[in-house]
Amino acid sequence: MERMQTPSWVLLVYKIPREPTAGRAYVWRKMKRLGALLLHDSVWVLPSTPWTREQFQWLAVEIIELGGEAFLWESHLLLNGQDEALVQQFLSRVDTAYQEILAEMEQEHADLVALSRKYQQVQTQDYFQSALGKHVRDRLLATRGGFES
Amino acid sequence: MKWVTWEQVGVDRMACAWLITKNIDPDAEFLFVPVGHQPLPEGAEPFDIPGVRLSHHRGHCTFYTIVREYDLKDTVLHRIARIVDEADVVQEVPVEPAAPGLDLICRGIRLTSPDDQTALARGKLIYDALYAQLASEPIQV
Repeated sequence: MERMQTPSWVLLVYKIPREPTAGRAYVWRKMKRLGALLLHDSVWVLPSTPWTREQFQWLAVEIIELGGEAFLWESHLLLNGQDEALVQQFLSRVDTAYQEILAEMEQEHADLVALSRKYQQVQTQDYFQSALGKHVRDRLLATRGGFES
Repeated sequence: MKWVTWEQVGVDRMACAWLITKNIDPDAEFLFVPVGHQPLPEGAEPFDIPGVRLSHHRGHCTFYTIVREYDLKDTVLHRIARIVDEADVVQEVPVEPAAPGLDLICRGIRLTSPDDQTALARGKLIYDALYAQLASEPIQV
Protein backbone atom coordinates (compact mmCIF):
# COMPACT_ATOMS: atom_id res chain seq x y z
CA MET A 1 0.00 0.00 0.00
CA GLU A 2 1.17 3.52 -0.72
CA ARG A 3 2.28 5.57 2.25
CA MET A 4 2.23 9.33 2.01
CA GLN A 5 3.56 12.19 4.09
CA THR A 6 0.06 13.35 4.97
CA PRO A 7 -2.14 10.33 4.72
CA SER A 8 -5.62 10.66 3.30
CA TRP A 9 -8.47 8.54 4.52
CA VAL A 10 -11.64 7.33 2.90
CA LEU A 11 -14.76 7.55 5.00
CA LEU A 12 -17.99 5.73 4.40
CA VAL A 13 -21.12 6.65 6.30
CA TYR A 14 -24.22 4.66 5.60
CA LYS A 15 -27.71 3.88 6.72
CA ILE A 16 -29.46 0.70 5.73
CA PRO A 17 -32.98 -0.52 6.46
CA ARG A 18 -33.22 -2.62 9.64
CA GLU A 19 -35.07 -5.32 7.71
CA PRO A 20 -34.13 -7.60 6.13
CA THR A 21 -31.27 -8.17 8.56
CA ALA A 22 -29.35 -10.12 5.91
CA GLY A 23 -28.49 -6.87 4.10
CA ARG A 24 -27.14 -5.22 7.24
CA ALA A 25 -25.12 -8.28 8.15
CA TYR A 26 -23.76 -8.53 4.61
CA VAL A 27 -22.43 -4.96 4.66
CA TRP A 28 -21.02 -5.42 8.15
CA ARG A 29 -19.12 -8.54 7.11
CA LYS A 30 -17.76 -6.78 4.03
CA MET A 31 -16.45 -3.99 6.26
CA LYS A 32 -14.77 -6.56 8.48
CA ARG A 33 -13.29 -8.30 5.46
CA LEU A 34 -11.84 -5.00 4.24
CA GLY A 35 -10.41 -4.34 7.68
CA ALA A 36 -12.18 -0.99 7.93
CA LEU A 37 -12.30 0.69 11.35
CA LEU A 38 -15.59 1.83 12.78
CA LEU A 39 -15.20 5.15 14.56
CA HIS A 40 -17.72 6.12 17.21
CA ASP A 41 -20.24 3.64 15.86
CA SER A 42 -20.84 5.83 12.84
CA VAL A 43 -17.99 6.33 10.39
CA TRP A 44 -16.07 3.55 8.65
CA VAL A 45 -12.52 4.48 7.74
CA LEU A 46 -9.73 3.05 5.59
CA PRO A 47 -6.45 4.58 4.45
CA SER A 48 -7.03 6.05 1.00
CA THR A 49 -5.46 4.19 -1.91
CA PRO A 50 -6.84 3.61 -5.40
CA TRP A 51 -7.78 0.11 -4.23
CA THR A 52 -9.59 1.11 -1.02
CA ARG A 53 -11.41 3.92 -2.82
CA GLU A 54 -12.67 1.46 -5.38
CA GLN A 55 -13.69 -1.10 -2.76
CA PHE A 56 -15.66 1.53 -0.82
CA GLN A 57 -17.16 2.91 -4.01
CA TRP A 58 -18.64 -0.46 -4.95
CA LEU A 59 -19.73 -1.16 -1.40
CA ALA A 60 -21.57 2.17 -1.40
CA VAL A 61 -23.33 1.12 -4.61
CA GLU A 62 -24.35 -2.17 -2.98
CA ILE A 63 -25.70 -0.36 0.08
CA ILE A 64 -27.84 1.85 -2.14
CA GLU A 65 -29.06 -1.22 -4.04
CA LEU A 66 -30.02 -2.73 -0.68
CA GLY A 67 -32.30 0.23 -0.09
CA GLY A 68 -29.88 2.23 2.02
CA GLU A 69 -28.03 5.52 1.77
CA ALA A 70 -24.29 5.92 1.61
CA PHE A 71 -21.87 8.84 1.56
CA LEU A 72 -18.25 8.40 0.62
CA TRP A 73 -15.57 10.96 1.38
CA GLU A 74 -11.86 11.34 1.06
CA SER A 75 -10.41 13.42 3.85
CA HIS A 76 -7.43 14.64 5.84
CA LEU A 77 -7.17 14.83 9.59
CA LEU A 78 -6.51 18.35 10.85
CA LEU A 79 -5.40 17.77 14.43
CA ASN A 80 -1.82 16.94 15.26
CA GLY A 81 -1.08 13.33 16.05
CA GLN A 82 -4.39 11.92 14.95
CA ASP A 83 -2.97 10.29 11.83
CA GLU A 84 -0.49 8.38 13.98
CA ALA A 85 -3.22 7.38 16.40
CA LEU A 86 -5.36 6.03 13.59
CA VAL A 87 -2.43 4.16 12.04
CA GLN A 88 -1.78 2.62 15.47
CA GLN A 89 -5.39 1.47 15.66
CA PHE A 90 -5.09 -0.25 12.30
CA LEU A 91 -1.81 -1.83 13.30
CA SER A 92 -2.98 -3.00 16.69
CA ARG A 93 -5.92 -4.74 15.11
CA VAL A 94 -3.88 -6.75 12.64
CA ASP A 95 -1.28 -7.40 15.35
CA THR A 96 -3.95 -9.00 17.53
CA ALA A 97 -4.81 -11.32 14.67
CA TYR A 98 -1.13 -12.06 14.01
CA GLN A 99 -0.63 -12.86 17.72
CA GLU A 100 -3.45 -15.38 17.52
CA ILE A 101 -1.79 -17.05 14.56
CA LEU A 102 1.53 -17.23 16.41
CA ALA A 103 -0.19 -18.68 19.48
CA GLU A 104 -1.92 -21.31 17.35
CA MET A 105 1.34 -22.23 15.66
CA GLU A 106 2.72 -23.17 19.08
CA GLN A 107 0.02 -25.81 19.51
CA GLU A 108 0.86 -29.40 18.82
CA HIS A 109 -0.55 -30.54 15.44
CA ALA A 110 -1.28 -26.96 14.43
CA ASP A 111 -3.18 -26.79 11.15
CA LEU A 112 -0.58 -24.87 9.19
CA VAL A 113 -2.63 -24.77 6.00
CA ALA A 114 -5.52 -23.10 7.81
CA LEU A 115 -3.12 -20.76 9.58
CA SER A 116 -1.41 -19.71 6.37
CA ARG A 117 -4.81 -18.96 4.89
CA LYS A 118 -5.65 -16.89 7.94
CA TYR A 119 -2.32 -15.10 7.57
CA GLN A 120 -3.08 -14.25 3.94
CA GLN A 121 -6.44 -12.89 4.95
CA VAL A 122 -5.01 -10.70 7.72
CA GLN A 123 -2.27 -9.59 5.36
CA THR A 124 -4.80 -8.03 2.98
CA GLN A 125 -5.94 -5.84 5.88
CA ASP A 126 -2.41 -4.95 6.98
CA TYR A 127 -2.42 -1.49 5.43
CA PHE A 128 0.65 -0.27 7.34
CA GLN A 129 3.02 -3.24 7.05
CA SER A 130 3.12 -4.54 10.61
CA ALA A 131 6.51 -5.89 11.71
CA LEU A 132 4.69 -8.74 13.43
CA GLY A 133 3.17 -9.70 10.08
CA LYS A 134 6.66 -10.12 8.66
CA HIS A 135 7.53 -12.30 11.65
CA VAL A 136 4.47 -14.52 11.09
CA ARG A 137 5.40 -14.86 7.44
CA ASP A 138 8.96 -15.90 8.33
CA ARG A 139 7.66 -18.44 10.84
CA LEU A 140 5.25 -19.92 8.30
CA LEU A 141 7.97 -20.17 5.69
CA ALA A 142 10.25 -21.85 8.23
CA THR A 143 7.70 -24.64 8.78
CA ARG A 144 8.02 -25.79 5.19
CA GLY A 145 11.02 -27.95 6.03
CA GLY A 146 12.51 -30.23 3.43
CA PHE A 147 15.80 -28.99 2.09
CA GLU A 148 18.44 -27.35 4.25
CA SER A 149 19.02 -23.90 2.83
CA MET B 1 -20.66 0.87 -31.50
CA LYS B 2 -19.05 2.99 -28.81
CA TRP B 3 -18.53 1.98 -25.20
CA VAL B 4 -17.40 4.30 -22.45
CA THR B 5 -15.85 3.77 -19.04
CA TRP B 6 -13.67 5.60 -16.51
CA GLU B 7 -9.94 5.95 -17.01
CA GLN B 8 -7.42 3.69 -15.26
CA VAL B 9 -8.83 0.31 -16.22
CA GLY B 10 -8.24 -2.68 -13.99
CA VAL B 11 -9.07 -6.35 -13.80
CA ASP B 12 -12.83 -6.01 -14.30
CA ARG B 13 -12.77 -3.55 -17.20
CA MET B 14 -10.02 -5.36 -19.08
CA ALA B 15 -12.22 -8.46 -18.80
CA CYS B 16 -15.32 -6.51 -19.90
CA ALA B 17 -13.65 -5.03 -22.97
CA TRP B 18 -12.32 -8.44 -23.95
CA LEU B 19 -15.80 -9.94 -23.54
CA ILE B 20 -17.56 -7.16 -25.43
CA THR B 21 -15.22 -7.44 -28.41
CA LYS B 22 -15.28 -11.23 -28.40
CA ASN B 23 -18.98 -11.93 -27.81
CA ILE B 24 -21.08 -8.81 -28.25
CA ASP B 25 -19.61 -6.21 -30.58
CA PRO B 26 -16.56 -7.18 -32.66
CA ASP B 27 -16.15 -3.58 -33.82
CA ALA B 28 -16.40 -2.11 -30.34
CA GLU B 29 -14.67 1.24 -29.85
CA PHE B 30 -13.74 2.15 -26.29
CA LEU B 31 -13.75 5.68 -24.88
CA PHE B 32 -12.39 6.77 -21.51
CA VAL B 33 -13.45 9.63 -19.30
CA PRO B 34 -11.86 10.79 -16.02
CA VAL B 35 -13.23 9.21 -12.83
CA GLY B 36 -16.54 10.81 -11.89
CA HIS B 37 -16.72 12.85 -15.12
CA GLN B 38 -20.21 14.05 -16.11
CA PRO B 39 -21.98 14.01 -18.47
CA LEU B 40 -20.99 10.82 -20.23
CA PRO B 41 -20.56 11.10 -24.01
CA GLU B 42 -23.82 10.58 -25.86
CA GLY B 43 -24.34 7.52 -27.99
CA ALA B 44 -21.84 5.41 -26.08
CA GLU B 45 -22.86 2.54 -23.81
CA PRO B 46 -21.35 3.13 -20.36
CA PHE B 47 -19.93 0.24 -18.36
CA ASP B 48 -18.37 -0.26 -14.94
CA ILE B 49 -19.48 3.20 -13.82
CA PRO B 50 -21.54 3.29 -10.62
CA GLY B 51 -25.26 3.45 -11.27
CA VAL B 52 -25.34 2.40 -14.95
CA ARG B 53 -26.97 -0.75 -16.32
CA LEU B 54 -23.69 -2.53 -17.03
CA SER B 55 -22.03 -2.10 -13.67
CA HIS B 56 -21.74 -3.81 -10.31
CA HIS B 57 -25.07 -5.24 -9.21
CA ARG B 58 -26.06 -7.35 -6.24
CA GLY B 59 -22.49 -7.86 -5.13
CA HIS B 60 -21.23 -8.93 -8.56
CA CYS B 61 -18.67 -7.26 -10.81
CA THR B 62 -19.47 -5.67 -14.16
CA PHE B 63 -18.14 -8.63 -16.14
CA TYR B 64 -20.67 -10.84 -14.36
CA THR B 65 -23.43 -8.32 -15.07
CA ILE B 66 -22.60 -8.26 -18.80
CA VAL B 67 -22.58 -12.07 -19.01
CA ARG B 68 -26.01 -12.06 -17.39
CA GLU B 69 -27.50 -9.11 -19.29
CA TYR B 70 -26.50 -10.57 -22.65
CA ASP B 71 -27.53 -14.05 -21.56
CA LEU B 72 -24.21 -15.62 -22.54
CA LYS B 73 -24.34 -19.39 -22.03
CA ASP B 74 -20.65 -20.28 -22.30
CA THR B 75 -19.75 -21.90 -18.97
CA VAL B 76 -16.11 -20.85 -19.35
CA LEU B 77 -17.32 -17.26 -19.23
CA HIS B 78 -19.32 -18.06 -16.09
CA ARG B 79 -16.19 -19.37 -14.46
CA ILE B 80 -14.23 -16.26 -15.51
CA ALA B 81 -17.08 -14.16 -14.07
CA ARG B 82 -16.55 -15.82 -10.72
CA ILE B 83 -12.81 -15.27 -10.86
CA VAL B 84 -13.22 -11.59 -11.79
CA ASP B 85 -15.79 -11.20 -9.00
CA GLU B 86 -13.17 -12.30 -6.51
CA ALA B 87 -10.36 -10.38 -8.15
CA ASP B 88 -12.19 -7.07 -8.29
CA VAL B 89 -13.94 -6.84 -4.93
CA VAL B 90 -13.21 -8.61 -1.64
CA GLN B 91 -15.54 -11.55 -1.17
CA GLU B 92 -16.31 -13.09 2.17
CA VAL B 93 -15.53 -16.64 1.11
CA PRO B 94 -13.06 -16.84 -1.77
CA VAL B 95 -12.87 -20.08 -3.78
CA GLU B 96 -10.74 -18.98 -6.75
CA PRO B 97 -7.02 -18.94 -5.95
CA ALA B 98 -6.27 -17.35 -9.33
CA ALA B 99 -8.24 -14.21 -8.47
CA PRO B 100 -5.73 -12.16 -6.43
CA GLY B 101 -2.97 -12.94 -8.94
CA LEU B 102 -5.13 -11.88 -11.85
CA ASP B 103 -5.87 -8.60 -10.10
CA LEU B 104 -2.15 -7.94 -9.55
CA ILE B 105 -1.27 -8.72 -13.16
CA CYS B 106 -3.99 -6.45 -14.53
CA ARG B 107 -2.93 -3.61 -12.25
CA GLY B 108 0.61 -4.13 -13.45
CA ILE B 109 -0.54 -4.05 -17.07
CA ARG B 110 -2.10 -0.65 -16.50
CA LEU B 111 1.08 0.58 -14.79
CA THR B 112 3.25 -0.48 -17.72
CA SER B 113 0.84 0.74 -20.42
CA PRO B 114 1.07 4.29 -21.78
CA ASP B 115 -2.73 4.62 -21.89
CA ASP B 116 -5.98 2.76 -21.26
CA GLN B 117 -6.38 1.74 -24.90
CA THR B 118 -3.05 -0.08 -24.79
CA ALA B 119 -3.91 -1.61 -21.42
CA LEU B 120 -7.10 -3.11 -22.90
CA ALA B 121 -5.17 -4.52 -25.84
CA ARG B 122 -2.65 -6.12 -23.50
CA GLY B 123 -5.39 -7.34 -21.18
CA LYS B 124 -6.89 -9.20 -24.13
CA LEU B 125 -3.82 -11.43 -24.23
CA ILE B 126 -4.32 -12.33 -20.56
CA TYR B 127 -8.00 -13.14 -20.96
CA ASP B 128 -7.50 -15.10 -24.17
CA ALA B 129 -4.96 -17.15 -22.25
CA LEU B 130 -7.19 -17.57 -19.21
CA TYR B 131 -10.09 -18.58 -21.43
CA ALA B 132 -8.03 -21.12 -23.36
CA GLN B 133 -6.67 -22.73 -20.22
CA LEU B 134 -10.04 -22.91 -18.46
CA ALA B 135 -11.68 -24.25 -21.61
CA SER B 136 -9.20 -27.11 -21.58
CA GLU B 137 -10.17 -28.10 -18.01
CA PRO B 138 -13.33 -29.67 -16.62
CA ILE B 139 -15.25 -26.52 -15.71
CA GLN B 140 -16.69 -26.02 -12.26
CA VAL B 141 -18.80 -22.91 -12.07
